[in-house]
Amino acid sequence: MSLETLQSLLVLGCSHHKTPLEVRERFTLNQDGAHALQARLNECSALSESIVLATCNRLEIYARIAKPDSQTDAVIRQLLSKELDLKPEFLDDHLYQYTNLEVIEHAFSVASGLDSQLIGETEILGQMKQAHAAAQQSKSTGPTLNRLFEKSFQAAKIARTQTGIGKGQVSIGNVAVDLASRIFGKFETSRVLLIGSGEVGQRTAQALKSRGVTSLEVTSRTLENAQSLATELEAKTIPFEEYKTQLQRFDIIISSTAAPGLILNPIDFTAARKACPARPFFLIDLAMPRDLDPQLSALENFYLYNLDDLSEIANENLARRSAECQQAQRLLKAQAWQLWLQLRRRS
Amino acid sequence: MFEYAYCDDRLVFGIGAALYLLSAVIGLYALLRSKAYPRVGLLPFIGIAFLVQTIGLNLRGTEVGGCPLGNSFEVAQFICWSAVLLYFIIGPVSRLRLLGLFTASFAGILSAIALLIPAWDAPYLPGRFGGDPWIELHAAMAIFSYGVFTILTLVSGMFLLQQHGLKQKQHRGIYAVLPSVQQLDIMAKRLLLTGVFCLSAALIFGALFWIENPERVPIFKLSVTGFVWVGYFTVAMLRLQNRLVTRRQAYAVILLFLLALLSLWPVQTAREPAQVPHVEEPTIAS
Repeated sequence: MSLETLQSLLVLGCSHHKTPLEVRERFTLNQDGAHALQARLNECSALSESIVLATCNRLEIYARIAKPDSQTDAVIRQLLSKELDLKPEFLDDHLYQYTNLEVIEHAFSVASGLDSQLIGETEILGQMKQAHAAAQQSKSTGPTLNRLFEKSFQAAKIARTQTGIGKGQVSIGNVAVDLASRIFGKFETSRVLLIGSGEVGQRTAQALKSRGVTSLEVTSRTLENAQSLATELEAKTIPFEEYKTQLQRFDIIISSTAAPGLILNPIDFTAARKACPARPFFLIDLAMPRDLDPQLSALENFYLYNLDDLSEIANENLARRSAECQQAQRLLKAQAWQLWLQLRRRS
Repeated sequence: MFEYAYCDDRLVFGIGAALYLLSAVIGLYALLRSKAYPRVGLLPFIGIAFLVQTIGLNLRGTEVGGCPLGNSFEVAQFICWSAVLLYFIIGPVSRLRLLGLFTASFAGILSAIALLIPAWDAPYLPGRFGGDPWIELHAAMAIFSYGVFTILTLVSGMFLLQQHGLKQKQHRGIYAVLPSVQQLDIMAKRLLLTGVFCLSAALIFGALFWIENPERVPIFKLSVTGFVWVGYFTVAMLRLQNRLVTRRQAYAVILLFLLALLSLWPVQTAREPAQVPHVEEPTIAS
């Protein structure tokens, strides 16, 4: 057993767990920044391997120390301080550090989404893969970190398949997408109307777009808002005065206005129902106060979900995922311990 | 040639029913345990059950010297068989999740009920259809249309379940796995039209025989057959005119199917007294 390997793995980072949003904003690195930091780490003789993982919620440096001594982490902090243009004391207040077996456990936890703000999300796995690929390209990795990351990806897969940490959607947008697929199946051909420029509505439309919706139209009381939103979502606009006469053209209607009262009721859908009585309508009311008359849900083939309904589903899914966390953590700990033993044997 | 013809065909049907029920139990267990639905895993079970049932029908057919549709037991087995056959045809194309589970459950339950009621398997003399190929075609087509209506009923049931889940904001368990309401509705429409087409064709073949031999078709059977056809035809026409859609259409076809199934028993009873070969022929309700 080599003492060197036992003391050579290190992760230094900052994430949503210990750092508030206003601080995290200062730790943000764009792609160029991450590449620059990676280059600085490459030049550092104290490190034999390194990977920079920079996402919107975390900045982490995974490293293998060339010659273990107490000063190596200080060197990394110094490099980070230069790249982020932050005082070293400020960094010290917010950075966390893990070594050796803890690094493996942490990497497994991050890859599987257990360490994410939305437990079980999968975006982080893709980001880790990208960070690993970028580090490999810049020849910053070696056998230890390559193995650590590859094993992390495997561990993430095991955790997701053997536990329920990835079951159910936990964001309003993705819950709406799930519901849309229960109504329409494949909804690439579904036509979506976004009423109002509320942020949640915008995110929901974005989620539908990311899952293949190609026909998206936007309307808002303020034409400028509608136009800027349409540009952002690559959508068309409809004048606010006209959208009610065109309801039959849409399958999914997302309403997210700041109107003080209801803007759509069953009478508004009379023409649409006559034109296509067998077609389902998915109505998503994300406004507070509500935009859509609750009576709409009583209509045949109309599926009305408001903000509370969607939040309740998201929260239930989140609670289920949290309940699965312990089992996933146990599983990952065992996997981490196995990898740790393998690394010790090989060194 | 048919060495296995000496086996007890009821035992073979029993094994088939048990395998259908086993497939259903495996699927249900996976759903209740919130595990991934074993769609591909169920196929071999249903396939073997179907094969066993086919052997059973072949044995019975060899015994009676024709299409085994002479009593309620055989009709029930044939309906199950044609429903599963149809599932194998439309399942891979439509990719409707849980259709295999629903079909296997139906086939297992109906086969088991048919086995548990000895009166349904009343003996009759071989060659009941008089060797007339047209009347055998009529009977087979009619029963195949029942298979289509079986799948239609299952799809309609799945539609109502998914719609209930969406309306009541239920999102777990079976609701998360069921196909979308739109897919189910489109499939229900296609099955309805296919079923009406098959049944109409069967009735045309039957009518050709009836015109020539009116005394050999009991009026009660003719009335029930006519009632079933008129029912499905009306629903299909209303659907094409968008006057009976989605939930109401689903309720209508489920009700019609239940009535059609219930009519099998009195129809069979009505012809039992005349158990002389070459005297009777089956109709849709046979």
